[in-house]
Amino acid sequence: MYLLNDIRVQVIRHLKTLFRIRVWIFISLVQPIIWLVLFTQVFDSLGQSFAIIPGLEGVSYLQFFAPGVVVMTVLFGSAWAGMGMLQDIDMGILSKMLATPVTRASIITSRVLASMVMLVIQALIIFTIAVIMGVDIVTGVPGVLFSIVIICLLGLGFAAFSNGLALLFRRPEPLMGVINFIALPTVFMSSTMMPGGPDGFLPGWLDTVRQFNPVDYAVVGVRDLVLSGYIWSDLWRAILILAAWATAGIVFGTLMFRAKAE
Amino acid sequence: MSVIETSQLTKVFPGNIRAVDSIDFEVKAGEIFGFLGPNGAGKTTTIKMLNTLIRPTSGTAVVTGFDILKNPAVIRKNIGYVAQDVGVDEYATGRENLTLYGHFYRLDGRTIKQRVKEIFELVDLAGFEDKRVSTYSGGMRKRLDIAMGLIHQPQLIFLDEPTVGLDPQTRTHIWDYIHNLAKVMGVTIFLTTHYMEEADHLADRIAIIDLGKIIAMGTPNELKEAIGGDVIILTPCETGDEQCDEFIRKTQSVLADKPFVLRTQPADGELAVYVNKGESAAPNIMRLLAKEGIEVESLSVSRPSLDDVFLKYTGRTIRAQEGTATTYAQIKRKRDRR
Repeated sequence: MYLLNDIRVQVIRHLKTLFRIRVWIFISLVQPIIWLVLFTQVFDSLGQSFAIIPGLEGVSYLQFFAPGVVVMTVLFGSAWAGMGMLQDIDMGILSKMLATPVTRASIITSRVLASMVMLVIQALIIFTIAVIMGVDIVTGVPGVLFSIVIICLLGLGFAAFSNGLALLFRRPEPLMGVINFIALPTVFMSSTMMPGGPDGFLPGWLDTVRQFNPVDYAVVGVRDLVLSGYIWSDLWRAILILAAWATAGIVFGTLMFRAKAE
Repeated sequence: MSVIETSQLTKVFPGNIRAVDSIDFEVKAGEIFGFLGPNGAGKTTTIKMLNTLIRPTSGTAVVTGFDILKNPAVIRKNIGYVAQDVGVDEYATGRENLTLYGHFYRLDGRTIKQRVKEIFELVDLAGFEDKRVSTYSGGMRKRLDIAMGLIHQPQLIFLDEPTVGLDPQTRTHIWDYIHNLAKVMGVTIFLTTHYMEEADHLADRIAIIDLGKIIAMGTPNELKEAIGGDVIILTPCETGDEQCDEFIRKTQSVLADKPFVLRTQPADGELAVYVNKGESAAPNIMRLLAKEGIEVESLSVSRPSLDDVFLKYTGRTIRAQEGTATTYAQIKRKRDRR
């Protein structure tokens, strides 16, 4: 199968590139730690108010927010995935590749997969640090693996959309604009930082909006696995919605590739 | 045997810009075919249609025996493409760049290793295989770039402006590689350039392209001989102002009916006078002009160059357009006014 080999060699290329940019490695590792430490310090007192929310009794803000940090890291990491594609377009690498017999599908697939590999590594590091800081993951290692599936689906969608936008715009400025415009608001329009639901702290309209936000489904799923256990009604919904989200991203990315790359 | 054969190949971009306009030409196996023209003439667009990166609006071409519309996948396997931009990955080593392309061209691991070794020697980069490309000089990058188009030993290679932006020394170096590729290894080469000397030096045959149309085709000597005789370039003044134009008009009228003058052609503040024998014509011209009270700033006698060929058909020189970003629209407006 040429497709699989093409994907393999390109994933290796992308990962090597990332690992060779030392600043990038440093920032990707330090950033989530800063999220964890800084946010839990700022919002620590909030944890005391959790006592009134069913299911969050006795939960500290650190425990509440740790799953959110995992999801945020995935969101920010994958949303920027298109920058690498832009670089390839800009350097003339993409058009040079397209003049070879390389399977077309492998170009975008390998970029998305390389992003996934990095996200899984980052997520595992955050889980480890969270455990060291005192977070008890009730579902244990299987729960962490389940969480990885959930965040991979979320990241897949964002990475594919980001690559599609890179092909659409062909310039860094509009891509950066769109990502900055989307990334933080989608976090605030979810239960990443504040508990949602009828007893939660989000205003009613935001609680409605978050039901259209894939980020929220990922946060809810991962948080269940960390704090409560296998709540299948949440988990199934997370898997289905995020699978649909990932598919939408792949379709968009593929369409942009067909329209703009060839 | 022909390696490329186009029929009425045309590309129209949005805004009704006919970048390539019904061109017909043939490239034979083993030859270096030069596509010479100023920036924006349609050279890159032609290459991108032939290497299957873009589809023609109408017409088609047969490349290495296959139709670009029906069998693009087979053609990609048979050709190498070296774009104008150096498309190498700076974060990777030279070997990694080449190996990646070996995989893309469906070579097996052992063949790739073997070819990488051979090719680094061929392009004189042996010893730099495992250095990052970010440490390479411009000339080394270009050589690696060319190597990436050769890894699968293609029968045809497209070189789009291969020496643009390189210093003169590196340029002659690259010329030697290109020459060897065709003459020693038997690769057919389709080369675009806006440097006359490059086309003159390298190409077996040349097509001169302007505004999407082929305006002349033949060997460099055939093209130059068609001009005939020598060229005398008269420069009236440093600046290209009204007075210069007046001078050129007057000079033209003085020389127009003289038997030793074949043709006169004004271009970019100069006047090209085509004569049979430059050495004897020059003093004659000076005498005639002095009688009319016309002063000449400078005068040069030379054999016709490819630029004179271009000038003959377009009324412009390629030389004058180097460095200036003349858009298709600007040239078209100029031409329409004339």
